Amino acid sequence: MLGIQAISAQNGWQYAFLGVCIVFSGLILLSFVLAQLHKILNLWENRSSIGQQLRERWKKEAAPEESETLQPKFSSDLMESKQHFRMLVERIGDPFALPKLLRLATKSGLHRPYATINELLQAGIILPDEDGYYTWKQ
Amino acid sequence: MESLLLDFFHNTGYYMADYRNVIMMIVGSTFIYLGIAKHYEPLLLVPIGFGILMGNVPVFKGLGLSIYEDNSVLHYLYMGVKSGVYPPLIFMGIGAMTDFSTMLARPVLMLLGAAAQVGVFITFLGALALGFPLNEAASIGIIGGADGPTAIFLTAKLAPDLIGPIAVAAYSYMALVPVIQPPIMRLLTTKKERLIRMEELREVSKTEKMIFPIVGLLLCCMLAGAALPLLGMLFAGNLFKEAVVTERLAEAARRPILDAVTILLGITVGASTQADYFLTPQSVGIFVLGACSFGVATASGLLFAKVMNLFLKHKINPLIGAAGVSAVPDSARVVQTVGQEEDPTNFLLMHAMAPNISGVIGSAIAAGVLWSFMM
Repeated sequence: MLGIQAISAQNGWQYAFLGVCIVFSGLILLSFVLAQLHKILNLWENRSSIGQQLRERWKKEAAPEESETLQPKFSSDLMESKQHFRMLVERIGDPFALPKLLRLATKSGLHRPYATINELLQAGIILPDEDGYYTWKQ
Repeated sequence: MESLLLDFFHNTGYYMADYRNVIMMIVGSTFIYLGIAKHYEPLLLVPIGFGILMGNVPVFKGLGLSIYEDNSVLHYLYMGVKSGVYPPLIFMGIGAMTDFSTMLARPVLMLLGAAAQVGVFITFLGALALGFPLNEAASIGIIGGADGPTAIFLTAKLAPDLIGPIAVAAYSYMALVPVIQPPIMRLLTTKKERLIRMEELREVSKTEKMIFPIVGLLLCCMLAGAALPLLGMLFAGNLFKEAVVTERLAEAARRPILDAVTILLGITVGASTQADYFLTPQSVGIFVLGACSFGVATASGLLFAKVMNLFLKHKINPLIGAAGVSAVPDSARVVQTVGQEEDPTNFLLMHAMAPNISGVIGSAIAAGVLWSFMM
């Protein structure tokens, strides 16, 4: 049996239609979830500052004369980078040599390793010890 | 003495070889030439080409030398192909090498990877129309996924006798992506469309990249469970890469494991193309359908990109739809080349990687779906 007749006899149309639908459903579902993922992560990472802002707003509403708002200490990006670098420091041990941390960060594909280490130094999270090494401030 | 010498001569390859062995040796040598001189997928074509030479040296049956004899060394190595062990290991290596950030930055481009899989199912119908049974038609259709390991995996499960021709067809067409795709791309797009510049991609955080393999595994494999061996390993490899603390595992997956499995797979698949098993009218049908499958998959991706442009605020360059056929990263490179022929300052490579990678996921889902239909 050949041609359209062969396709119909083996339920080919149904298999092909269902197959295309399932592949599309899978990738549409994944694409939808991934499109929302960074929004959910942003919310999660800024949960403390969002909470603070909400508390501030409530305070403001209760006492309008107190207008000062608290700023989050670190940006969400730096908070995330801090977590990744803390994992790397745990891996290489404390105290550690800065070039080694840099090398490992670059190898692990962390974003802007030089700038992030600089920010962590300025924020006092990475502190120099007296022997030329650095420690992670817990 | 004379009869001993004559017996020995009768057992040599020079005596036993026929024209079919010679044809296959020419095919194997062509693969090696294309890999080394033309740089077409050398890591695949060179081992496969050499395997074809090995498989077509005529040997005395019964000595346990041929890949199809139960007690031969090549047969034991070939078990990794027939049992479907090698493809998931290759997927793990691919996962450990791949950066999914372009796809995460603009997930809507994943639909192009899905659209290109339409080629798989159209070829499946074509194979049924030509009289192939369901299991063989499914294995032939998956060639359009442009993913060698996926094609081998599905064929090992559904039609083990066709592994040789299907694997050779899949890898040949993957290597010929720079030849097959550009004419179709130019035919189905206007100059104006080829000049479209893509919107700049947003930056993707490391946490997002770490969460992606877990979300991807759960969503895709819950839907198409039969894709678990391929997608599970792909996402595992990617998690090793992104998790920072498992860099050693990622390194092992993307270098020693991937390289070793590629060598074993290439050589044994090549060796499985013994002339008496390979040179059949059925193989010719598979090659013709495989080429159609590739063309239809490319066209599906391109046309779907044009349809998407009807609804999108920021238009996409339809050329990137052609990268949905997987064949990572060659088809993305082809998109870049064709795009730059029109505008040398238009960089499409990063954008094309999104459908390209989602094509890998899409073809694995398609393989899983076809496998589950036939079970």
